[in-house]
Amino acid sequence: MTADKDNLRTRIQQAIQSQKRPTVTVLSSLLAIQDSMGYIPEEAIEEVAVHSNTSINSVFGVASFYPNFRFTPPGEHSVEVCWGPTCHLKGATEILESVLGKLGLDSEGDTGDGKVSFRFNTCLGACSQAPVISVDHELYGNAKPDIVQNLLGSFYEKENLH
Amino acid sequence: MSNKVNLTIDGVEIQAEPGSMIIQAAMDNEMYIPYLCYYPGMKPYGACRMCVVKAEAPTPDGGYRALPGSPASCTTPISEGMRVETNTGDLVGLRKGIMELLISEHPHGCLNCHRIELCGPTDVCLRHVSVNDRCVTCPKNERCELKDTVRYMEMELTTPLTYNNRHLPLEVKDPYWDMDMNLCIVCSRCVRACDEVRGDRAITLKDRSGRSIIGTAAGTSLLESGCEFCGACIDVCPTGAIVERDYKWDKAVQKISTTCPHCPVGCQLDLDVNKRNKVVRSIPNRQAEANMGMACFKGKFGLDFVNNKNRLKKPMVRKNSTLEEVTWPEALDFVASKLEHHKNGDYALIASARGTNEDNFAAQKFARRVMKSNNVNVSSNSRPKLVDSLQNLVGNDCASNKIWELLDSQVILLVSANITEEQNVASVPIKQAVAKGANLIVIDQRETELTRYATKWIRPLINSESVLIGGILRSIIDQSLEDHGFATEKCEGYDEFRNSLWDFDLVKVSAQTGISQEEIREMAQIFANAKASSILYGLETISDTHIDATVKSLVNLSLITGNLGKKSGGIYPLFSGANQQGSRDVGCVPNLLPGHRPAASPGIDLTEISEACHSGAIKALHLIGDELFHNTPDRSEFLDKIKATDLLIVHESFASEVTEIADVVLPSALFSEKTGTYTNMEGRIHRLRPAIGPIGDEDEDWRILSQVAARLGSDDMSYSSSDDVLTEITNEVESYKSLQIDSLSSRGHIRNPISTSSYVFSPIEFTQRDEVLVNDQYPMVLAPGRVLFDAARDASIVVENDLNTITRREIIEINEGDAKKAGISEGDVIKILGEEFELTGSAHLNGLHSGMVATTTLFGALIESLNSSSEPDPMAKIEGLRLCKVRIEKV
Repeated sequence: MTADKDNLRTRIQQAIQSQKRPTVTVLSSLLAIQDSMGYIPEEAIEEVAVHSNTSINSVFGVASFYPNFRFTPPGEHSVEVCWGPTCHLKGATEILESVLGKLGLDSEGDTGDGKVSFRFNTCLGACSQAPVISVDHELYGNAKPDIVQNLLGSFYEKENLH
Repeated sequence: MSNKVNLTIDGVEIQAEPGSMIIQAAMDNEMYIPYLCYYPGMKPYGACRMCVVKAEAPTPDGGYRALPGSPASCTTPISEGMRVETNTGDLVGLRKGIMELLISEHPHGCLNCHRIELCGPTDVCLRHVSVNDRCVTCPKNERCELKDTVRYMEMELTTPLTYNNRHLPLEVKDPYWDMDMNLCIVCSRCVRACDEVRGDRAITLKDRSGRSIIGTAAGTSLLESGCEFCGACIDVCPTGAIVERDYKWDKAVQKISTTCPHCPVGCQLDLDVNKRNKVVRSIPNRQAEANMGMACFKGKFGLDFVNNKNRLKKPMVRKNSTLEEVTWPEALDFVASKLEHHKNGDYALIASARGTNEDNFAAQKFARRVMKSNNVNVSSNSRPKLVDSLQNLVGNDCASNKIWELLDSQVILLVSANITEEQNVASVPIKQAVAKGANLIVIDQRETELTRYATKWIRPLINSESVLIGGILRSIIDQSLEDHGFATEKCEGYDEFRNSLWDFDLVKVSAQTGISQEEIREMAQIFANAKASSILYGLETISDTHIDATVKSLVNLSLITGNLGKKSGGIYPLFSGANQQGSRDVGCVPNLLPGHRPAASPGIDLTEISEACHSGAIKALHLIGDELFHNTPDRSEFLDKIKATDLLIVHESFASEVTEIADVVLPSALFSEKTGTYTNMEGRIHRLRPAIGPIGDEDEDWRILSQVAARLGSDDMSYSSSDDVLTEITNEVESYKSLQIDSLSSRGHIRNPISTSSYVFSPIEFTQRDEVLVNDQYPMVLAPGRVLFDAARDASIVVENDLNTITRREIIEINEGDAKKAGISEGDVIKILGEEFELTGSAHLNGLHSGMVATTTLFGALIESLNSSSEPDPMAKIEGLRLCKVRIEKV
């Protein structure tokens, strides 16, 4: 347990130290940690506080201000559905319902098995292809509910193959 | 007056300090602009927008230019000729709109109800406000700034009475404070008080937009968030969101301004007294120059002992080996008849560090004149050498400068003092100075809270501090950094002192102290190059035999850099005992008569008292308070020794092991029941005023002594009030002559220095440090530290009996060589064994000096133990962080 925690702290410290920028701030350190680990563990708040010579509370104040920081480990896969105006007009609602149904979720969040983290997105920047979804940061345009079902189903199939 | 700025507010022409904000200018001129997030003394913030105004500034062509929009008066600086309107129809409308938004998240059914004075929690409410949402069930009712503001604005509140209840869980598991964030209006005064004023940052503004709220980092308790439990957040909260837990709902019927009895800072506190004659709250006074509205855990939460019911209420005399309650005349007659036989020098009196100047003046007069004995002392005077040389060399034995001048010091040297716990409020200006860029140098073997703020934390070998300072002095001379003009013109003995420094070769100094020459040179540069450098010393880890030499070196350091008599420079001795300074001034010490005149034949020291009782040199011991017993390391031995006396008289407020063995126990009044004065570490004289009436038959110590004196045939101790005693003090003590008794306010009065002759350098000696602390059984020295928090290590919070408790795996620092010899490697679990304790932790090998171990615990654990203590007055009995002898074992 302690060894795991020490290991975690080492990884966090590496993330903070490997920033290649002229000014390292609380925010840049938090971003570096989220990039490297996918989330901000409690220990990261403490390590950033030590590194920036401030208190854990101040660091947490910054971290909790930005909705893009997450404090729990993300699922293995990320799924985002665009619900910007264009996608909305082109049927994002159907896509959304289909995705939520497949994942067994009501809204943004992680699936119970920790496999998928689902988020809304206000624009994925591919309006000509609307409606658009992003699966593991890859864009899929002209999405249809059945295509979505297949895409998401593949997460589970892959595992069965192994 | 010419440097003031002229402006007009609501048609009234006023003058204000340049650089102040409109709202401050208005307040200074006794005008009111509604506000909620602004707080005097903190930086402008501009969050609540309640204080909006219309303002116009003159233009060069003679016209006026309106400032755009409706600026917040708390963030808009004043300018010459400015015209400000604070109450136009537009502004009132704007404010009401803002207030409606604010209270849409706060229960507000009662805020402007005309029945509020008549209403109780169980009354039928015509507005259907549920019980939980009523002002009468809020702890801050009747002292709520939000309610006052709503009522001032005459809000109609036609909006529905429903509000957005955040349904946040109450946080009531931490010691001393309760937090209900459903009442918060997110003005963030508390966050700013914690950050800007106290420098702790123990709470923060979490989350964003509509969800933003005050709290600590995720899932933590205040115990591990770095909180020092000073209560500053509670004092500034405008609503009932953060409150003291004890007597939470009690209303004050009386507010009494008095002086805190816990340490020599002498904080001015306003005590709230309820209708049952109890002190329910203590709120630090913002006008007081000693504490500037600050308090600490002791002053804020450590005064409940005055309400304790287990008081000694009647005098008691031992008859047939049991203590029996008697009347005052009987007790006094008994005391007098016994003392009659002890006028031959076998009498000793130890006064209380919480005794007022009047009590302790009466005590020394009683001992010296009536009992003809110089054996008189005060229980906090355990290290008289701390200030003896200071008095001789600079002509004053208290701090040379005011506490809050530290704010502008560029360098602060703190020598061996755990100031954040022992003299807490004096550490506030230090932390603020560091935040402004001052250099803090800490010389201490222990890790204390301020070592985290230090530019340099130096851990010299034990008892080598005087040599280390000598090295710094030598290095200042070597680098020609001295203030030669000051040293030769304003001081005496410079040449002789300078010659004594040739012994302090840096190679030798470095070997003796374990500190590299480079570090010594650097400290010399930092200290000597600054415009104003101040020195604070407690010398808590230094053996008695080395204290005097260290004090002399420190005085030399202050003189050679020209920092005495300079604003924000100076030298501050840090002792314990709320009225240690006053006791010295009024001659309640063995070697000084009132007014610091040396006694012809000094009485015995505190350390010799118990031995003198044992040997029979002292046959009658008169103890006022039992602090001497508590400050003695070996208490059972102390009790055994003082039992040997023929007569033991104890003035106490609570039963203790000492009162159990006493022949006479006289119930003594507490600070909250007394009239009198304390003198703080700056030499500032403060008033004590009685907040609560007598609980039983207890009396003030000066009156008890004056009555005994009368029975012993002495007629020069008949006083009718404490002010009579004070008048006599002002006549006898030269430095108190300027005191105007009638006009003593919460700002206090700084007494004059003892002498005004020139400063004197004192030649110093290169003393060998001796290892007095250790023996064969316990060959190592432990330096115990305590800090508010340490982010780099995990601490866990466990809830026990509905209270948060904190635990952590401790780390024991040990020298690499020592560890190798003992077969210990990094991370091994080892045990420290002392004479009265043991501690287990994992070893951390580092460059600590050989023969030493160090470990640092958390302040949260101390607070937790104080909170759960069953002692009547636990805060007065916190053991300091003493160095002690130990041995280590591998587990």
